[in-house]
Amino acid sequence: MKKGLLKKLIFGITMTAALGLSIVHTDSFAASLPYQSYNYNYWEDIVYTPAPYEPDYVVDGLSLSYNGESIGSFDTPEDLCVADDGTIYLADTKNNRIVILDSSARTVKGIIDHFDNNGTEDSFNQPYGVAISEKDQLYIADSQNKRVVVLDNEGNLVRIVDNPTSEVLEENFTFVPLKVTVDYADRIYCIAQNMFEGIMVFEADGQFTGFFGTINVDITLWERFWRKLASKEERSKSQLFIPTEFTGIDVDPEGFVYASNIDVNGEQGVRRLNPRGEDVIKKGVNENLGGDLWIAGSTEFAGPSQFTDVVYRKNGIYSCMDRRRGRIFTYDHEGNLLYIFGGIGTQDGNFQLPSAIESVGGDIIVLDATKANITYFKETEYGRLINQAVGLRYDGDETAAVELWNQVLLLDENNELANTGIGKAYLTAGDYEQAMKYLKLGMSREYYSVAYKRYRNQFLTKHASLFLTALILVVAALVVVSKLKDKGIIKSRKGKKDAESLL
Amino acid sequence: MQKAFSKEKWQYLLHTISHPMDGFYWIRHQDRGSVGIAILLVFIFSASFSANRLLASFVVNDIDARTVNSLYELFSVMILYLLFCVSNWSVTCLMNGEGRMKDIAIAIGYGTAPISFVLILGTIMSNFVADDEQAFYFLLLGVGIAYGLILMMIGIMQVHNYTLGKTLITVLITFAAFLIIVFLALLLFNLLGMVYNFFHSIYVEIIFRA
Repeated sequence: MKKGLLKKLIFGITMTAALGLSIVHTDSFAASLPYQSYNYNYWEDIVYTPAPYEPDYVVDGLSLSYNGESIGSFDTPEDLCVADDGTIYLADTKNNRIVILDSSARTVKGIIDHFDNNGTEDSFNQPYGVAISEKDQLYIADSQNKRVVVLDNEGNLVRIVDNPTSEVLEENFTFVPLKVTVDYADRIYCIAQNMFEGIMVFEADGQFTGFFGTINVDITLWERFWRKLASKEERSKSQLFIPTEFTGIDVDPEGFVYASNIDVNGEQGVRRLNPRGEDVIKKGVNENLGGDLWIAGSTEFAGPSQFTDVVYRKNGIYSCMDRRRGRIFTYDHEGNLLYIFGGIGTQDGNFQLPSAIESVGGDIIVLDATKANITYFKETEYGRLINQAVGLRYDGDETAAVELWNQVLLLDENNELANTGIGKAYLTAGDYEQAMKYLKLGMSREYYSVAYKRYRNQFLTKHASLFLTALILVVAALVVVSKLKDKGIIKSRKGKKDAESLL
Repeated sequence: MQKAFSKEKWQYLLHTISHPMDGFYWIRHQDRGSVGIAILLVFIFSASFSANRLLASFVVNDIDARTVNSLYELFSVMILYLLFCVSNWSVTCLMNGEGRMKDIAIAIGYGTAPISFVLILGTIMSNFVADDEQAFYFLLLGVGIAYGLILMMIGIMQVHNYTLGKTLITVLITFAAFLIIVFLALLLFNLLGMVYNFFHSIYVEIIFRA
């Protein structure tokens, strides 16, 4: 009785909340969105979901002006980064400048196209990556000048990092930095062109200290076998087994580096590297962090996702940008896919060649190198609910997340994460039957088993007297029957058979 | 000659399962088996196989229930049963096998009984196990399936009066024969299709000209 009331109450609250906040909101956009939003269920089937994010507006260089003059369109912008206060730094690569924008990207705060290098004026040559440190120092991967330039927030030169020397580097190695990021201790992590050994790490003083997060090459037994058979000439002509390069990096507040890479098998396109350079990312049930799962075939839509950049958002949530199909894959800290949206195309909200992804406030922004613009995506009710619920779970507050998950279920009733979340909350609350129901819907074997074991124990303890009575009655009956047989009151079957065989 | 489903035949089924060497020998030499029961057992096997895939608890069952089509599975199982019997019979005819078609059908059919039993038992049991108790379920299934296969092997061995080695060899050749039959069947259907198309086009031509 009480439970029913509570349920009704929760349902009522969530219904009104959903009606009040979301339905009008999401439905009016759903029809006009230039992409589909979906997720994969336990069986790796595609399940279409409401849009978690919708395009808000698009900013290109022509619409911006600085000191009364138009800044002109961007040319192949390759990277952007966001400071703590929301200021956006954009590497306008082919225009050889860094554009500083406010958090909405509608106002230009400044343009850096030259700096004072110990008395001489110096400029950039295809700045490919930018990063901002906690001390508000700007790190610019000045790719064709083969150096990383560090400027302070006034645009004064702090340091130039170039010509890394080390025994582990080849003699004729040219340092072409592409993407750069910096952690709380001002260590610089740099992805360099043709550097397959991993991410290059520099100490705060600019000293090259080594490689980081090397991706091991898997050679299958079959490939090994063929290489054994092949002659020397054949071997020299065959493809080299080289690990893939990293494509984008980001650092979370704890100093772990998120790095995206292109995995030809579509299994792991993002890594979380600890300070020793080991991959400590968690994978979900399907052990896949490679974006799309349906990649077989040979159409233009087939093939593994190619993650070109990754952004750590908050509460363990990170998003990866797939440049092959223009989709954004968002995972939580346990490696569960939260939602997928985005696509290639010419409409606003689609991409041609996405180059970088960042998050500003609650928005996701994507930089497109070919379209030379920035697209702002704002979260919908559906996205907000998932983000918040995952955030609460990340903080360990599963009970508080239940109401949010219930609202998610109203919008997307097969959402496995929501069902698992609710089930886990019931499990902690001690309602094992409800927990089992939701955990089964959420396909969570592990927690279902925990709930089931407790339910079974509860059931056995509750009915222990019944079982014991039954047991005693059965034993007593057996004793009585055997006594009666001994006295010949009941004829035993065996005796009957013996009698028959005698006849 | 007793009826196919008489009480004696059922009792002899139990005897065969528990004493396969002896049981299959007298099935061949005294007609103590029943083809009817064997076919029924294959039906039950197919049903319990589908039931296991559909109803086993999701703790041990990784199958999407929406992809299970029990009618289709029944059809496949019966086809496989028929094909195996035919190809085994064809092979053993050439290899001095003493068994008749009905003996082979009985040997295979009776061999499915323990498998069906553990599938049903396992399906019920799976609903009472947790994640870390899966091992019991899979042990049960494993033992049952292994025993079923051993039964079939002994059955084939006994009805043909083979040694174990020869049985294994004939079973391998049976699978080869199996593939040949499938190949020929495909070829036949393909050719029949062509013949049909030929007459169909003649028909169409006549219809349009007349």
